[in-house]
Amino acid sequence: MPIVELQHVRKVYDTKVAVADLSFKIEPGSMFGLLGPNGSGKTSTIRMMIGITVPDSGTVTLFGQPFTRTSLTRVGYLPEERGLYKKMKVMDQLIFLGQLHGLDATTASKRAHIWCEKMEITEAALKKTEELSKGMQQKIQFIAALLHEPALIIMDEPFSGLDPVNAVLLMDTLVDLRNQGRTILFSTHRMDQVEKLCDNICLIHNGHLVLSGAMREIKSRYPANRVALNFEGDASFLNHAFIESAKNYGGRAEIKLRDGADAQELLANAVTKARITRFEVMEPTLEEIFIEKVTAEYGEVNTGSTVDA
Amino acid sequence: MHNVLLIAKREYLERIRTKAFIVATILIPTLMAGGIFSMAYIADKSKSTSHITIVSSQEPLATDLQNELEHGKDSNMVVDVVAPSPEIRSTLDAELREKSREEGIDGYLWITPATSADPTARPTFDYTARSSADILTHDTIKDSLRTVLLREQLASRGMAAGRIDSLMAPVVVNTIDAGGQHGSSRNSFYVAYVFFLLMYMVVLLYGMNVARSIIEEKNSRIFEVLLSTIRSEEILAGKIIGVGGVGLTQVVVWMVAAFVVTATPLVAHVAGSAAAVSISAAQAIFFIVYFVLGFVLYSSVAAALGAMTNSEQELQQLNMLLMMPLFFCILMLPLVISNPNSPVARLVSLIPFCTPLLMNFRVSLSMPQPWEIALSFILMIATIYAVLWVASRIYRVGILMYGKRATLPELLRWLRYS
Repeated sequence: MPIVELQHVRKVYDTKVAVADLSFKIEPGSMFGLLGPNGSGKTSTIRMMIGITVPDSGTVTLFGQPFTRTSLTRVGYLPEERGLYKKMKVMDQLIFLGQLHGLDATTASKRAHIWCEKMEITEAALKKTEELSKGMQQKIQFIAALLHEPALIIMDEPFSGLDPVNAVLLMDTLVDLRNQGRTILFSTHRMDQVEKLCDNICLIHNGHLVLSGAMREIKSRYPANRVALNFEGDASFLNHAFIESAKNYGGRAEIKLRDGADAQELLANAVTKARITRFEVMEPTLEEIFIEKVTAEYGEVNTGSTVDA
Repeated sequence: MHNVLLIAKREYLERIRTKAFIVATILIPTLMAGGIFSMAYIADKSKSTSHITIVSSQEPLATDLQNELEHGKDSNMVVDVVAPSPEIRSTLDAELREKSREEGIDGYLWITPATSADPTARPTFDYTARSSADILTHDTIKDSLRTVLLREQLASRGMAAGRIDSLMAPVVVNTIDAGGQHGSSRNSFYVAYVFFLLMYMVVLLYGMNVARSIIEEKNSRIFEVLLSTIRSEEILAGKIIGVGGVGLTQVVVWMVAAFVVTATPLVAHVAGSAAAVSISAAQAIFFIVYFVLGFVLYSSVAAALGAMTNSEQELQQLNMLLMMPLFFCILMLPLVISNPNSPVARLVSLIPFCTPLLMNFRVSLSMPQPWEIALSFILMIATIYAVLWVASRIYRVGILMYGKRATLPELLRWLRYS
């Protein structure tokens, strides 16, 4: 039984189609990535999943049942726009939000303390939210989404604005939660960040589904035709007939091979011209797959379009 | 309901703990009461203390007037009497021009005897004043002259001084309200007026508070977190109850304080009997009830305004919508004061947006018919229901709209969203 199932969901704001006929399933215990550029309809999709807005057509199923508000106590949501009461003390805030999710004050307080320790913000617990740094506030919001131990955790752009140390802390925590059997939905436009995290993905563009399925399976569909190469010396080997396109960043080249080309031959050719310090044959990144798919279907990728509503 | 209470509790506690709340709760009634009592006190004690010179050739008239001005009921002037001479006018003019107010006179009154032989003909009075805006002195001289001339006329017709005194004695009118109780129209006017101002202030203040807190939450983007567990109607209800609870707390504190202070002889003792004000329990209770109704009505409108806008500045522009009915009430106030039970006063006090101010004003002045009060409750509750219906729809869509302010056609579309 999938935790979340969207069937032909559509949402139109005035004249803008935010989501056009989107269907996907999220299996329990998996980490699911909802990916796409800004304005592709990620946040709109999430809002419909948790009843902030209602789809114009199509159905949303949560925990195997048609959407009801009572199932929301089993969902933890970290919105893209971080929001906390500025004047409220952190601990009061966490308890308040925990209570809204159906916890009693004592449990909420107990869990809030444990989480604050885990997220290394114990000293901030008695301060007012407005006194804290943005990264701290983000961690608090993160805790607020997890306090009621939800079965489904929805994170809209969870890593934006976090430094690398905290981003790793967050990622590790999410992996732990997944290993505990929770289902996690990510939404992000930073595809590289979630590539190693997600089991399943759904790529959308302009409200349309571009690609979906298991990460491993999608990747295996694409041949390992990318080469990352570090070299010193003559760069003329980059004009080899095998190479479809190459980017040279002063000694670090990213190469895409033609179909059927053998990477070994490229290597053999390269060593005759330059000194090779690194040679790696790779699958295309998610970003490259996305751009390839969208370019094939729509002509050009239109990123940075209007509001991410 | 659990969620509504949670939201309400949070709003209530956050506001009631602020210093601003404590200061307002104590300071505003202190200032108001102080202002009103001192107004009453000054009105009671204000007598002209000007120093003037009377220039007259008619000895008895001049001394009678001097007597009246120096020891009359409403005046406490210093008066010199001089006989007219060719150079006296220029001397007095020079004194007015050159000497300061402390050492010179405030003006002089030139009495020119009547030229006609008619015994009822009056002399001409020319008052030259240092300040032509000194209305108090001017009026005092006018009143005193009338008294003096009347006495003179009566005396010239052979009436005895004792009879004249009894004839000229001031009249006392006792004001008795419909319940047969002794009242004072000045007293109920002050009470009604203070209540009117307080109501205006708290309804506007707490209404705007709702709008402002919505904008604040919109800017802090907390709504998305809240909306992922509870419905927008619950947030709106919780907010109105929470903020209203703060207002109610404040109003109840004020009313209890006002009732206790005015019920004790303390005020009368301090400010003199003329400034004694009494507030009945009924007046205080009606104030609280009308505050609750008025607050819910105005805060629902304010909630819609808050949801439509993105910043305080944008809200300021729409404030007019909230203030207009209140201004209208102020415009209507003179009508209600002069005759609280006239058809116009009855009509305007039944307009739901005016009821909290004007019906409550009438309650403080003279109790309206019970059916009027009942009708005002019914109309207000019906209006609140309608306004809340509209406001909650605007609110539901508006709180997730960032960026530009909503236009009217957009608003109408929001109403149709489900």
